[in-house]
Amino acid sequence: MHDIFGKRVALITGKGGVGRTTVSAALARAAARRGLRVLLLEIGEPDGDYTPLARIFGRETFPAEPVALEPGIHGCVLWASAGHEGFFRRVLPVSALVKAAMGSGALRRLLDSAPSFREMGVFYHFFDLLERKRPSGEPLFELAILDMPASGHTLGLTGLRERLLSLMPSGPIADVLNEGKGYFHDPALTGAYVVTLPEILPITECLELIEGLEQHGTPVGGIVVNRVLPDPFTPQERAALEPYAQEPWYGMERFRQVPTAARALERLRQSTTVPIHEVREVPLQGRALVDAVAESLAEGAR
Amino acid sequence: MIPERVLLDRQVIVCAGSGGVGKTTTATAVALAAAREGKRVLALTVDPSRRLAQTLGVSRNLLKPTPVPADRLAAAGISDPTLLEAWMLDPGVVADQFVHRFAESPDEAKRLTENRIYRQVSRMIAGMQEYTAMEALYTFMREGRYDLIVLDTPPSRHALDFLYGPKRLASFLDGRIFSLFLPGEQQSLIRRAAGRVIHRVNAAVFGEEAYSDLQEFFSAFSRIFVRMNKNASQGLESLKDPEKVAFMLVTSPATESMTDAFFFRRKCVELDLPFRGFVLNRSLAAVDARTPPPADLFGPTPSPVERSARSKLMALAELEQAAVARHRALLGELEAEAGADAFTVALPMIPTGAEDMTSLVRLGEVLMRHGR
Repeated sequence: MHDIFGKRVALITGKGGVGRTTVSAALARAAARRGLRVLLLEIGEPDGDYTPLARIFGRETFPAEPVALEPGIHGCVLWASAGHEGFFRRVLPVSALVKAAMGSGALRRLLDSAPSFREMGVFYHFFDLLERKRPSGEPLFELAILDMPASGHTLGLTGLRERLLSLMPSGPIADVLNEGKGYFHDPALTGAYVVTLPEILPITECLELIEGLEQHGTPVGGIVVNRVLPDPFTPQERAALEPYAQEPWYGMERFRQVPTAARALERLRQSTTVPIHEVREVPLQGRALVDAVAESLAEGAR
Repeated sequence: MIPERVLLDRQVIVCAGSGGVGKTTTATAVALAAAREGKRVLALTVDPSRRLAQTLGVSRNLLKPTPVPADRLAAAGISDPTLLEAWMLDPGVVADQFVHRFAESPDEAKRLTENRIYRQVSRMIAGMQEYTAMEALYTFMREGRYDLIVLDTPPSRHALDFLYGPKRLASFLDGRIFSLFLPGEQQSLIRRAAGRVIHRVNAAVFGEEAYSDLQEFFSAFSRIFVRMNKNASQGLESLKDPEKVAFMLVTSPATESMTDAFFFRRKCVELDLPFRGFVLNRSLAAVDARTPPPADLFGPTPSPVERSARSKLMALAELEQAAVARHRALLGELEAEAGADAFTVALPMIPTGAEDMTSLVRLGEVLMRHGR
């Protein structure tokens, strides 16, 4: 985790329900507090009326052009169609042809609905935002944090280059994929961060996801174990309560969970060399939760 | 309406939900429960976890539905080994079968399935899974081999993806896209001129080589695609029958998946699809009659260690009690949203993951028993 603020891209991934969105927002806040110009991104879905990430910042959705959310943080949604348009501008020599391309219902439909072409549009939009410069030549956004969709789609995006290149080994699309290669594959520029929970299944899924990312050549920068339960009991206190572990009392479920969670975490530590950062469970919601997680992540990156 | 009737009187149950809520587990529990009631059941799923596949004793990526082995069924209390079949769908396999079915000759089928672009497109992750699930469902519905088909919708961020997937694919397979790559069909002068512009655009966007590959692909597949497109829309249409089909939405107590659940129900109503139930999974709302730890847990004169153990336990108990109250309130919200046509049921959190046979049977019983 320690070098996350030195990268250009952090891809935040993990199964649904593990707190990926909270971690993305918290990481943005932690980075902004260090003085970085942060771009917080998510992938646009057709027919989405709202997104949980935008809601953290008091909006229903993000626009397709970066908008200031709070000091140091801009938000933006990646749209396949925005990427396609940008790509047309790049490859088509005259604006009349760009207009013809954008006006061609059939071409737009093909690009929007054929899976890899959609992801290609998302990728180009992402690439274009990262390439933007300030007048001084520095990157406009120093760190882009992408709240990735559920695992399967994450692999869809990180495996895009390989897939499209096997479809079209050369040509304009291959050129862009090769130019933007570093943003997905260079460990100095990018890292995937897998969010998980200290439970048996999520840990297994986390390890499977890391395997998949590595197969696609996406560097994994860290694992964030979210909602780690602190154990309030001393070994003596635990021993005193042990005979009652199966009683139908409130509190006993948690009493039993703590050692299970500790075992799951231990297994994770044994199974991977990827740096692990633990975020303690806190009884907070909304922005307060994001702040607490941001603090924990800032600590881990120190 | 009570879930038992929903679960036993239908021919198709579609289990939807956003990623990570335990949708596959719930769908499997429903399939097992129905088989335990003597129904001939097919469990259809895309990309199940390794462990769930192991529990059912069925390999992933087989070519067709396979009976769940008798010893597994016996473990679930099912003595008739013909009652439950499972199929872990592989989109590539379904697409290949489709091509074989509609190609003019085995030779053509072979040529088509070996096309480089086809092999990519048919095995892509997004969109195709939704389509193949729909296609398989539609095929089995027509065959009528099963009393009940339980479909676990493909994994995705939003529950709604399943409803939109076939529509997205249909727009991909739309005839107009072919006109991009098959300019020979355009006859008028104006159209030919437009065709030239499109050609320049395509050549610039895809590069000459990939463009000609795509042309070849589309001309080879145009007939198959028209057929696929027709099936996709018929498939969605057939799911509108309220006598035969029930949609169930699985959610966890997390805000994101709860909001998704509400949207899903409304979208079903809008699309005229029979929404019939909410499952609040991994919730404490199902907790039966827990009590606070007794005050005299360690007798009248507890040791200092015992006293502090008890006071820490009390603190945990308060947290847990508050969580139970919160989950019950969520269940109430779902009940209010469900209205009179649909049931709402809470399933407990099983820390080990609910993917073993005992847990699946137990969850199935809760689903069946609820509301009786």
